[in-house]
Amino acid sequence: MLKTLAKTIDLVAAFDASPNPYMLLDRDLRFAGMNQAYLDVTLRRREELIGVHVMDVFGAAPQGPSHDASQRLETSFKKVLETGEADHLALLHYPIRTRSPHGEAVFDDRYWSCTHTPIKNDHDEVTHILQHTSDVTELVKARTSDEAPRDALEQMLGGGVFRRAMEVEADNQRLEAERRQLSDVLLNAPGFVAVLNGPDHVIQFCNEACYRLVNHRDILGQTVKQALPELGEQGHLDFLNDVYETGEPVMGRQRAFSLQHSPDGPADNRYIDFAYQPIRDENARVIGVFVQGHDVTDVVMAAERQKLMIDELNHRVKNTLATVQSIAMQTARTHQDPRSFAEAFEARLMALSHTHDLLTKSHWEGADLRSVLEHETRAHGAGRLSLNGPLVALSPARALSLGMIFHELATNAAKYGALAHGDGRVTVDWRVTNHSSPQLEIIWSETAGQTVQKPERRGFGTRLIERNVRHDLRGAVDMSYTGHGLSARFTLPLETDA
Amino acid sequence: MTDIFSGRRVLIVEDESLVAMLLETILADLGCDVVGPESNIEDGLNVASGTAPLDAALLDVNVAGQEIFPVAEALKARGVPFVFSTGYGEAGLPEHWRGNPTVQKPFTEGAIRDALMTALNMQRA
Repeated sequence: MLKTLAKTIDLVAAFDASPNPYMLLDRDLRFAGMNQAYLDVTLRRREELIGVHVMDVFGAAPQGPSHDASQRLETSFKKVLETGEADHLALLHYPIRTRSPHGEAVFDDRYWSCTHTPIKNDHDEVTHILQHTSDVTELVKARTSDEAPRDALEQMLGGGVFRRAMEVEADNQRLEAERRQLSDVLLNAPGFVAVLNGPDHVIQFCNEACYRLVNHRDILGQTVKQALPELGEQGHLDFLNDVYETGEPVMGRQRAFSLQHSPDGPADNRYIDFAYQPIRDENARVIGVFVQGHDVTDVVMAAERQKLMIDELNHRVKNTLATVQSIAMQTARTHQDPRSFAEAFEARLMALSHTHDLLTKSHWEGADLRSVLEHETRAHGAGRLSLNGPLVALSPARALSLGMIFHELATNAAKYGALAHGDGRVTVDWRVTNHSSPQLEIIWSETAGQTVQKPERRGFGTRLIERNVRHDLRGAVDMSYTGHGLSARFTLPLETDA
Repeated sequence: MTDIFSGRRVLIVEDESLVAMLLETILADLGCDVVGPESNIEDGLNVASGTAPLDAALLDVNVAGQEIFPVAEALKARGVPFVFSTGYGEAGLPEHWRGNPTVQKPFTEGAIRDALMTALNMQRA
């Protein structure tokens, strides 16, 4: 219709003749044209404006009187370019620079009301912005000046309109500030946030945490399928389609999430909590998906480590209980009297416990042979045992075995051997031989002041020693009684960890 | 003691000598002839896949940090029934082996006897 009209009248002349001030900016915000009314209210000449950036003319020094207003102007222009929709600045306090009758530069206090309308080409692209400006200074001054006459009509119409304009503008500014704040919050949120647009889930927004999650791939503007093809196999594309089609959110907890750093690179396995929620337009139609969530890999890993530790602890505790059960049962078979059973059982339990104490000190890394021997023989008087040998590191299992073995030897010596009498002694010598496949050789020899008898039957202690050496330590022991007491020679391989 | 297991040859694989001694004692009380005890997978596998006659086996699941299952497979191939012993109970077994008779450490003589009877398909007294 306008095109038909343009054939009959000169639209450019009409534009220039309008009493309302208009100006046009191109996409770079440079002046493309303006009418006479605009030049009149802004006190400018056409040649000083055409082709010049609008902020070079109306931009203000940061501390200047119109700094805030010029920022709002610029924000409004950019909004029109981004959204393709008109934007209104109902009230803009913008003092303009002019010259006094004496030729000095002065600021003339002015209030403006502006509308910025996008001008689009055939492809619906914004090519220009049309600004319609009204100088509302008189209205504002009338409103704010106490002396100004205020009749009922002005109060009802002008005053009310003006107040509403002020309110709308205040709302606009508040909303714009909130939008910026919200955007900042999302950008810097600790969780990942993304906005997907349309049925193909085009990635429109992605915050820092989201970029970290996808290994800083350049995903903006692409569909999820293009940008992150691996996610399809992991069901995430189906989730997004579901949200888009049904409008129902999809949530996930501690779900495996695997991405490759590069197309041929290894997968980076992570775990995420996520929520995919529909974004709706004003008609409640789903137009996109809001993605948010957290990388919970550390939490999942910690829980797995904890489970492994609890399993290992359970294994050790149950094995230890079975060991104690065995000690109780075997001890009961050789001690009919409850009191003597309790004594022997307790002593064996304490022997086990002493080695545990030693191992706890090293966080179950192992223990030194001498410390194990000292712990198990201390009760019989330090002066009566002589321990001679180098430092030998024992694994926890070996330390426990040797602890039990030397407890049995010392107990036997105290009952039947060299330690049964006041002047007997025990010597323990050890050395490491054959360094290519190291053997630990330990010799226990008792020297009693008087002749001792060989016990008549093989007790649990002796059986335990023999079994332990062969079974747990994979070594050999040779035990023999001399008239002075027991002599035992152990040969144990050091490399194989039993 | 009961002698329903009299003369049955039962293999023990268990890395802790004290626990092995306990099992030996219990099995001897039940009338069994103990084979082993073996303290590692390698020796256990040699006996399990060998030719020596076996009627049943008692297998520790975690033998010095290694899993017993190769030994269990060898016994299964020979048709020798077995009982698992583990600190975790049956819940700690992989899916494949669930349902096999299992005793949880520490165990009672009664638990061993019942598990062996189940493994050997014997009627409970």
